Amino acid sequence: MQANQPDNDRVLCECDLASLQALVESLETRHQIIVTRPPGVCLTMIRAEDSLERQEFFLGEALTSECDVTVDGAVGHGLCLGDEPVRAYCIAVCDALLHTGRDQPAEVNTFLETHRSQLAAEEQREFNHILRSQVDFKLMEQD
Amino acid sequence: MGYVAIKGGEDAIAQSIRLVEYYRVRGRTAPVSIGQIQGQFRLLLDKIMGEASLYAPEHAALVLKQNEGDVFESAFMLRAYRATLQRRYTAETLVTREMFIRRRLSSAFREIPGGQILGPTRDYSQRLLDGRLATETLGHIEDFLAQFEAAAPGRPTVPVTTLPKVIDLLQAQGLLREVDDDASRRVVDVTREAVKFPAPRSAALQMLARAETGGLMALAYSAQRGFGSTHATVGELRVGEVPVRVRDARGRIRVVGRIRLTEAEMISRLRVQRRDESPALSLGYGLCFGQNETKAIAMGILDRAMRSGGDAPCQSQEFVLYHTEGIESYGFTNHLKLPHYVTFQSSLSNLRQAIERKDRKRGQLGFGAAVVNTTSSPS
Repeated sequence: MQANQPDNDRVLCECDLASLQALVESLETRHQIIVTRPPGVCLTMIRAEDSLERQEFFLGEALTSECDVTVDGAVGHGLCLGDEPVRAYCIAVCDALLHTGRDQPAEVNTFLETHRSQLAAEEQREFNHILRSQVDFKLMEQD
Repeated sequence: MGYVAIKGGEDAIAQSIRLVEYYRVRGRTAPVSIGQIQGQFRLLLDKIMGEASLYAPEHAALVLKQNEGDVFESAFMLRAYRATLQRRYTAETLVTREMFIRRRLSSAFREIPGGQILGPTRDYSQRLLDGRLATETLGHIEDFLAQFEAAAPGRPTVPVTTLPKVIDLLQAQGLLREVDDDASRRVVDVTREAVKFPAPRSAALQMLARAETGGLMALAYSAQRGFGSTHATVGELRVGEVPVRVRDARGRIRVVGRIRLTEAEMISRLRVQRRDESPALSLGYGLCFGQNETKAIAMGILDRAMRSGGDAPCQSQEFVLYHTEGIESYGFTNHLKLPHYVTFQSSLSNLRQAIERKDRKRGQLGFGAAVVNTTSSPS
């Protein structure tokens, strides 16, 4: 699961919030969830670098939501961009369940697979539209 | 310069704030929702976030509504909000090669790997007013979207992919060279450390990234017009979304979402310093939040101009970085509206004394031009 974590994070950060909330509400009935750090906003400084000399610099900050929980004793950290307290909490719960070392709940994996496919399909649709604006300008002396 | 505080006026100030609200809503039009602003004023929010140096689209929409569209005030307010928050994470360095491309072009090369992608742009439009928008309804929007989505792809579907950089072509041929200057490579955070000149390049890039778009554009334009030695070409301009990764409390790298960015790589000639040196090209770098192509291009031009050496305004780090800092310059310009009674009275008093001294020297009676000089005009 560790290998797929960035991928899972991305799905949880970008998926439809209502669906994620419904998933976590169903998990709440079967697991003991303790919020150890209530959802709150903070800042993440974004680092960048120029392309040639690779000079690092600070581009600016991004509003970030974070939340920590324990689920049946396993620690989970929820992090996402924006003022998204509910999403940060839901990510924390999923994170705890995905990294307990025990059997991962099938519904979380199913959720991730479903939404990964949905997001990929949406991205592909958008990319298709974008590629339709690909251009090959001709010079005046060319046909 | 000394300042003397004022007091009083609480009721008038409170009423002036109520008046702001009154003029915002007195037309009794339907309130504009934050979602509408986020959806339909994308480029304006990108500008605000860039100048506030805070990526927070929802909050940018909120301040824009609150300030009736004033970009300066909105960026100011967003920066003030930022100051109330704790910085708990520093992201891993962005990799713009991972960008999900929405727009990508090169004006240096016609054929580039991955192709020129116009994406969303008004560059090739005729800048005509679209009167239909005056009566636009949700129905019109739905119709447009349905037609747009239904349009068959003009070519076989290409899987989503990232694109190589155009500068790779020049690098492969050994035509690009780093600028050989004395600039420190130390990574400075100008929000934590006061800037001293000459500033490390990291500080300059950070300040340019949070500078005001119009100010950057004006100075970059001056460089292009000859007040400076750089004439840059867009090696590559790309707009799209890049993942942000942070290290969480357990030391794991986590993706926290994606941010929209504009990146400009501006190519210009490198001035040869030594006789044995062969000519080469170098790069000015521009990167900013959101889709703000003017800003990224101007940043790239100025990054290069400030390292080129010379006496033009755009070649002076201090001149460029201090005067394009939008919040500082906006704040200073607008502070002139606040009471300066004591300072002005003091200036006036000095002026009167100076006139009196001058008049006394001339053997006149002093301040008060109405007094007739009886000694010089014979009756």
